[in-house]
Amino acid sequence: MYIEVNGKQVFATTGGKPFDCARPVVVFLHGAGGDHTVWNLQSRFFAFRGYSVLAPDLPGHTNSAGPPLASIEAMADWLNDVLEALDCRNVSFVGHSMGCLVGLELGSHDPARLRSLSLIASGLATPVNDALLGAAKNNPDAAISMMTSWGFGAAGHYSRGPVPGNAMIAAGQMVMRGNTPDALHADLSACNNYANGAEAALLVKPHVQVIVADNDRMAPKKATDKLIAQLPNPEVAVIADCGHMVPQEAPNRCRKLLRDFIFKHNPATQGS
Amino acid sequence: MSRFLNFDTLSLHAGQVVDPEFGARAAPIYQTTSYVFPDTDTASSIFNLERGGHAYTRITNPTVGVLEQRIASLEGGSAAVCTSSGMAATFCAITAILGQGDHIVASTQMYGGNISLMKNTLPRFGITTTFFDPTDPDACRAAMQDNTKLIYGELIGNPGLDILDLEAIAGIGAEHHVPVMIDATFNTPYLCRCFDYGANMTVHSVTKWMGGHGVAIGGVVVDGGNFDWGATDKYPTITGPYAPFSGINLWEEFGPSAFATRIRAEAMRDIGPSMSPMNAFLLLQGIETLSLRMDRHMANTQELLDYLSNHEQVSWVNHPSLPSHSSHELAKKYLPKGAGSIVSFGVKGGRAAGKAFIEACELASHLANVGDAKTLIIHPATTTHSRIDAEALEAAGITEDMIRLSVGLEDVADIKADFDTGFRAAKRVAAS
Repeated sequence: MYIEVNGKQVFATTGGKPFDCARPVVVFLHGAGGDHTVWNLQSRFFAFRGYSVLAPDLPGHTNSAGPPLASIEAMADWLNDVLEALDCRNVSFVGHSMGCLVGLELGSHDPARLRSLSLIASGLATPVNDALLGAAKNNPDAAISMMTSWGFGAAGHYSRGPVPGNAMIAAGQMVMRGNTPDALHADLSACNNYANGAEAALLVKPHVQVIVADNDRMAPKKATDKLIAQLPNPEVAVIADCGHMVPQEAPNRCRKLLRDFIFKHNPATQGS
Repeated sequence: MSRFLNFDTLSLHAGQVVDPEFGARAAPIYQTTSYVFPDTDTASSIFNLERGGHAYTRITNPTVGVLEQRIASLEGGSAAVCTSSGMAATFCAITAILGQGDHIVASTQMYGGNISLMKNTLPRFGITTTFFDPTDPDACRAAMQDNTKLIYGELIGNPGLDILDLEAIAGIGAEHHVPVMIDATFNTPYLCRCFDYGANMTVHSVTKWMGGHGVAIGGVVVDGGNFDWGATDKYPTITGPYAPFSGINLWEEFGPSAFATRIRAEAMRDIGPSMSPMNAFLLLQGIETLSLRMDRHMANTQELLDYLSNHEQVSWVNHPSLPSHSSHELAKKYLPKGAGSIVSFGVKGGRAAGKAFIEACELASHLANVGDAKTLIIHPATTTHSRIDAEALEAAGITEDMIRLSVGLEDVADIKADFDTGFRAAKRVAAS
């Protein structure tokens, strides 16, 4: 579905069902360089079980008009505007990687709207090394290779995903190439510059779930431990044998964790 | 993993999760029509495209899935769908995006089955084709119409072996926002990954070099994931609502694998040209040694090119590796490891001498296939292209004295000795 927010076109998939703000809403937000398709093995599930789903493309990503946003805080403001425009209440937020940082900001500033926060593969911050930042600016193809080679674990590298016929690394690369040319650099810079994670985490009020992958080299255990320590009573789950791209590498386990958590804290009977 | 796995490793491992029950190292043959669902929610999720999984082998099968994911990885595509044959792959790929009133621009130099499909069969469904000389990209551009929705060709043309200037053709496709589909059977992803040069999807007869042993018929469509279906309203089967799945918009839901998903959801379900699990297993065995076999195919081809070029009974030899071939420079660009193992040559003495050559050879098999481990020979004018009219035959570069050779993996000295026998017979006929 396309909507207009702040005079710009915004795309969000609704998981194959019409969006209805009267229902509880599950918002899925992608990570750096990604788009809504990261969530296609989760979003459709919720859409067909009584939820309204909103998996937007951030500005400058795939179907949403640019330019890309320059900071995590700006992304959180933008997402808040999207939720306002659609009159979303009873929101369960699900973020991946950079999307989690946006979720922390949203959760610390707008607790009334949020029923739950699910943070997948993230720490309190996402420092990005100079080589990757430089490549994202000057040689995006090289940066895309670096990110996908590091981001995906064995399931990606060996094309062992559960969707027959699909090769997730090539698909991920195609998504990144389809964004505006400066989107990846903007995303990575926003991640690198974000310093408010520890403070934001302390202010998060909704129920929080943290999903960690044990072979994640982009959000390693040391980083996720800091996030977990800072959040108020998070439910923590570790997915074994999985790299950073949890929603694609381990979609069934990821979906089950999200289902159990969101069904409990934001049941679909609410408001539907 | 800090870098990508290389081709040979993917050939052996991609797509396979080692059997968790018994630890079988080889991909098991799941010879079953259907699958027990653990619960109704899982069942409905699979049917509704909410999750991966298997419901019925016409649509997906675990053994076939290993092959699909292996080929997608080798090709660098976002997704692959295997079919019962290469022609089934081509038909399913075309009809996934074209329908009544649509138009294809296609190379004249293609396998006879492809030409017949476009010239005779698809017009009955309202899909027409304009053919262009693959050596002339401007001819491709000139053939484009308002209703053109696909450019189709073979990287290594059959049987003339002209190389399609893929980057130029892909550029024309991009200008018109029309996808480029390549039949990559002759090159395989080992010799050229067509997506690296701008193709948007490939089809293969995996019966040929990919399988390599002549024991199983199969095809595959690979989605390059690199075509922006959403940038135009020309492809409603991808970007419009699809009624059988609650009006799903495949482009919005599946992005880079939307095209492959359409084939899976429509062609495999409504038409049903599925690959058998047994064939998928046999083809997987072949793909494990694809690079080794292709290297040997290329080495034997080079030796035979030298032999044929210097043989007194040979009037001409045609292969893109030869400097005399009009596509030699394109072959160096797109096919640096070798320009395939199909060679065509003329036998002095014309049709009768060609017939004598074929019938005198003992080691080389006279049959209508290519890409086997064994050396194969055939006379196209009377077999593979026999249903094509004279004009199209000439356009395809086929002459009556032409022998098409598919170079096998035998000791090349034995192939030469066999051909010596054939040429002696041809010489006797030519002299009589």
